[in-house]
Amino acid sequence: MITASDVEREKYQNIWVVAELLAGKIQPVTFELIGAARELADTRKSDVWVVVLGLDIGESPETLFAYGADIALLADKAGLSGFVDELEAKIMEHLITKYKPEIVICGATTRGRSLIPRVAVKTYSGLTADCTGLSIDSENGDLLQTRPAFGGNIIATIRCSNHRPQMATVRPRVMKLPEPDFSRRGKVIKEKTIVRDIEKIKKILDIFHSTETSINLADAQIIISGGRGIKGSKGFKLLKNFAERLGGAAVGASRAAVDSGWIPYAHQVGQTGQTVQSKVYIACGISGQIQHLVGMQSCDLIIAIDKNPNTPMMQIADISVVGDLFEIIPELNKKIISL
Amino acid sequence: MKIVVCIKQVPATNEAKIDPETKRIIREGIKAIINPFDNYALEEGIQLRDKLGGEVIAICMGPRKAEDSLREAIALGIDRGILLNDKAFAGSDTWATSYVLAKAIKKIGNVGLVICGKQAIDGDTAQVGPGIAAHLDWLQATYVMAIESISDSSIRVKRMHEDGYDICEMRFPAVITVVKDINIPRVPSLRGRLISRKCEIPTWKPDDIGANISKIGLEGSPTRVVKTQSPPPRHNNTKKIQGSAAECATALLKELRIRNLI
Amino acid sequence: MIQHILNRMYHIEVLPPKQDSETLEDNLEKFQNRYLRILENGYCACITDNTMGLLSFQGTELIEELSLPVISEQLIIHLNTFHRKDDLDNILRVCKLKRIKYLLIITGDGSERIPKLRPLDINNTDTESVTSVELLKYINWKYPDTFVLGVAFNPYEPEEHEFEKLKRKIKAGAAFIITQPLIGRNRFIDRLLKKHPEIPVIVEAWMSKKLHLLSEAVGYEIPQNTAYDPISNLKILHRLYPQCGFYLSLLGFKNQFELIRDTWI
Repeated sequence: MITASDVEREKYQNIWVVAELLAGKIQPVTFELIGAARELADTRKSDVWVVVLGLDIGESPETLFAYGADIALLADKAGLSGFVDELEAKIMEHLITKYKPEIVICGATTRGRSLIPRVAVKTYSGLTADCTGLSIDSENGDLLQTRPAFGGNIIATIRCSNHRPQMATVRPRVMKLPEPDFSRRGKVIKEKTIVRDIEKIKKILDIFHSTETSINLADAQIIISGGRGIKGSKGFKLLKNFAERLGGAAVGASRAAVDSGWIPYAHQVGQTGQTVQSKVYIACGISGQIQHLVGMQSCDLIIAIDKNPNTPMMQIADISVVGDLFEIIPELNKKIISL
Repeated sequence: MKIVVCIKQVPATNEAKIDPETKRIIREGIKAIINPFDNYALEEGIQLRDKLGGEVIAICMGPRKAEDSLREAIALGIDRGILLNDKAFAGSDTWATSYVLAKAIKKIGNVGLVICGKQAIDGDTAQVGPGIAAHLDWLQATYVMAIESISDSSIRVKRMHEDGYDICEMRFPAVITVVKDINIPRVPSLRGRLISRKCEIPTWKPDDIGANISKIGLEGSPTRVVKTQSPPPRHNNTKKIQGSAAECATALLKELRIRNLI
Repeated sequence: MIQHILNRMYHIEVLPPKQDSETLEDNLEKFQNRYLRILENGYCACITDNTMGLLSFQGTELIEELSLPVISEQLIIHLNTFHRKDDLDNILRVCKLKRIKYLLIITGDGSERIPKLRPLDINNTDTESVTSVELLKYINWKYPDTFVLGVAFNPYEPEEHEFEKLKRKIKAGAAFIITQPLIGRNRFIDRLLKKHPEIPVIVEAWMSKKLHLLSEAVGYEIPQNTAYDPISNLKILHRLYPQCGFYLSLLGFKNQFELIRDTWI
């Protein structure tokens, strides 16, 4: 195997976070990852760098330092706007070769998951996707990456011993957002990019931003799901409202609700629908037949809301709420705004 | 125009039953299926071939049993399938897997478009598609939800993002990974199945694709799984919340907040 | 359909081979033999549509590929909402071509692999998802006066919910009803027969000795070793429901086929 020798490996230092930008604004996942990177850097006695692709970041790099970064590495994108994966990968390759980071982490977003695998191949790095945990092995300083596999039924720990940098992507809201300290200071490095053959890479023709973000069941961290107790498509609008206010949430349904024509089949969770493994599953008016349970058993936290305290779902739930969902959900919606 | 669709055979995890004692999914006897996202890739490949002419080929790196998946692809309407199977390929992580697939695509020759499903439901990494593009140094577009137009030399796609979408154009050769919004996959017909049972599916080994042995299998993989464990068992105590609607809502939100979920 | 009852014609369920079958040619031969045997004995063959979301072959493609004879009065094809639009239209086209008269329209079981009809596929703007009601309307619109359409009635679902659904199905054009398996008398079926004397009702009789397999259908756990004699149950149902037709599921073609000659008196 082609690997870096120990001497080579030693040359790679510092923990990098690749920033997630949306319309020039740095996204929360970046700050979450800076927090995680800070812990790793403290253990490794090194620095946290944040790589920002695109110099026009709208706000100053001060926020990055406040959350724990030591250096902001700003690379220009040769004037190109939009997400041009090949160009960003080339820039990352150049930066990694020049500055030799030990660890590179990035948000597991549509952009992150397109960019980082390409970079990892180009730099012959090990990449672990959707990590739920990152730590340093006290024996040899390697990065230990934990992630779920097989639909959440196994937790795997992965290591990239012989290649540098070690790379990982992490989904938004997995790492805790640190407390910012606005007295922290850092350094800015501006990197000029030399890009050849621009006409050969992809052309972005149009970009559409939508205010309504529809999260699908497979990617949602929180799922609020309705069953027979929802009584109609109007009831599902209540759940949709809740999901939208929360952000990053999706609406699910039991088979009974779909068979009654209240919500499209794409939302069905269960044996004849989808299997989900979100962090939170809130079952509203779902009795909990085995065919439904098979589809959501892997969710980390199961909450059930029902008038009847004795349904199978209320029994297996981690938290059960006895009450009328048509009163409780509007109350939840009201209180979320004030959060 | 030659189109290659990369598929993977995976266990059908959503057909599992739950062990009443451990409350965990029983994994024995679970059958193998084509990775669900790959069905969308196959459907798109077939539709594009029907529109533009040419050939659509399915390739799969896996154990001998993965041949069944290639036959199913042929039953759907794929022109031919190739299995990449050898002891040396086993244990490959995504870097090595995308290397092998890239070599196979090079060997097929004159390929204009590679289509992959967004991710595989067992590994869930979504790394192989962009990895293939990187090994080949081709253009890539991921999370493709629609193909707006296609010609012999270029393709225009709609890419999904969390906050909306964009439209981009790429000259061939290129790699795209597709999401479920892109089409509705057909099911095989009886006639297709009967034909596929008689088809010849060649097996390619490292030598056939000119693969560097040090870059494949366990040895060629930069990442290694060092430990697997079961998630903590489901508890048995349900925390009960009661009271007025407002009280319930407050209590529930508090539970979510202390667990850092909101 | 009423003639089927008057003529004591049993409706016998025959399951198509599954798509992932390793012994496909053998399964096809077995299917063909069963189908022909049902016809030869004057019964009505009922071919299912991907039951339990297990991808199988369609009745229409089996009839075409195996060149099976179609006798209009001796065939019911199940049709559910889990199809692509082009496949649905093709199935209906072949049914009309082959003079297949009776279709049992059900919502059906899906799976991740099996596509589902979307409301816009069948010109429907009223509901969020397609159920048997919308499919009934579509078929009657596209092929008026061509088919006789039946629907399911499940006495194990909440009573009011199920009767309300049935009302909508009848309004959409349902001409006969097939029930879920009955074990002895069922008061919801009694209510059904009283409420809708004008619609032929075919009750399902579970012909397997393994009664516990019905647990999921009936919604409560039936112990695995429960003693159950399917032939006795069938005779009891004949006595209780003389005005109904009979749908036999899981009939043992080796051991039970001959026994049902004398059960409908």
